Amino acid sequence: MINFQEVSKFYDTITALRNINLSIEKGEMAFITGPSGAGKSTIMKLIYAAELPDSGKLTIAEWETDKLDGSTIPQLRRNIGVVFQDFRLLLNKNVFDNVALALRVRRIPEREVKAHVLDSLKMVNLRHKTDGFPSTLSGGEQQRVVIARAIVGEPIILLDDEPTGNLDPDTAAGIMRIFKEINARGTTILIATHNRELYRDTGKRVIRLDNGAVVAEERG
Amino acid sequence: MSYSIKLALQSLWHEKWINLLSMLTIAMGLLVVTVVVSSIYNVNLFARKLPERFFIVAYLKEGLTEKETQSIVGLIKGRGSTERVKYISKSEALKELKTSLKDADYILDGLDENPLPASIEIRLKKEAVGPESVKSFAESVRKIEGIDDVQYGEKFLLSLHSIKTGMETIGLILTVVMISGIVFICYSTVKILFYRRKEEIETLKLLGATRGFIRTPFVIEGGVIGAIGGIIGAAIAAAFYFSVFYKLSATVPIIRAVVFPAELLLSLPAAGLFLGITGSLIAMGRIKFS
Repeated sequence: MINFQEVSKFYDTITALRNINLSIEKGEMAFITGPSGAGKSTIMKLIYAAELPDSGKLTIAEWETDKLDGSTIPQLRRNIGVVFQDFRLLLNKNVFDNVALALRVRRIPEREVKAHVLDSLKMVNLRHKTDGFPSTLSGGEQQRVVIARAIVGEPIILLDDEPTGNLDPDTAAGIMRIFKEINARGTTILIATHNRELYRDTGKRVIRLDNGAVVAEERG
Repeated sequence: MSYSIKLALQSLWHEKWINLLSMLTIAMGLLVVTVVVSSIYNVNLFARKLPERFFIVAYLKEGLTEKETQSIVGLIKGRGSTERVKYISKSEALKELKTSLKDADYILDGLDENPLPASIEIRLKKEAVGPESVKSFAESVRKIEGIDDVQYGEKFLLSLHSIKTGMETIGLILTVVMISGIVFICYSTVKILFYRRKEEIETLKLLGATRGFIRTPFVIEGGVIGAIGGIIGAAIAAAFYFSVFYKLSATVPIIRAVVFPAELLLSLPAAGLFLGITGSLIAMGRIKFS
């Protein structure tokens, strides 16, 4: 599903990723871990094409990133749900409209939008907050809105960059339960985190990064 | 598309003051273009009607025989550019003068003999009425044996031609400046709106929005700003025409001759729409995804 072959990424003189070889299988749930600046977020950005590799080959489902252009990048992104580290919620839109945005960019008819959005909000237990605005929600609730937005289009890949940062253990556990449910439906999930508690005893693959390189792979 | 329209309308309302300011500025710009185009239209209309009224008078020398006169008329008719050639005898000239003097014809009573010369009135074909062509035609007639003098409104013809050329040049420059100004206003307005929604646009891109999806609300917004600017401009022009111009024309005859092209008013919203869309597209430029 996701295949990195000798992928490197540089920012000016800084090496963010160096010769990464990594393969994530279809339906797999995996974790990427490592200290701050290890390259976790860069890997995520490369997958949803916010950045492009400087060298090497990256394949995501049927797309090769070196062949992406202005018309294919949106197609790729519609197949990837992303839970952004900074949430990227639109503060002037309510919960419903924030989630609906992922479908409206695909020009899906409004009637279908409504049904899908309400289903997604139900899955993250926020059905009762559809009219609320992001500023009135707690951090955990905001994150669940972002998850609802990421899954509403039924993506084949779900990426989550630091899903439980600044969240209390109970909320973090709730969010992990949602991920497991989504994964059980066949969605490939890749989670970037530096929180060991998230992957401990999950039995899932944990890829450890340090200084832009894969240094270890283990089971959680 | 309906979502794009909704977004555009929301933004139009949300940023109503900046949008209104842009609309009024566009209206003023289009109003200037309207005045310029109307003026050029009227001068051209006058210049087009001129050939119907314009004629050259060739005065004949005294004492020509009828045969000689007919020969001169034949020579003039032989030049291809004439529409109508009419011989006016000395007696006909006096009769015409008396008619035009009406009740004041007694001033001619003391005359022992008819002082007016016989003449030939020449109307030229439309395409031949121009400062250069008329001048060369008049010169060629003047050279004919038996012709005493040739008169036509040389200075008037030259002035009209200069006014027409001058107005067309100034009008073209003003129109280009105003149109560029309007495009720039739409460009700036949409650029500001685009920057204000930069974060939102970045999020839309990350969610899989295409360039078309991102651009459409701004294009609609720019188009609406331009079109409403055009409607305001047309409304001001129409209001001015009917409240001032139309009333004045009842008392000032020269104003009555001025024609206001109604098609121009109708085309202002369309022109505003087109310029608004053009400005929006330039403002957004090429949207990059990564």
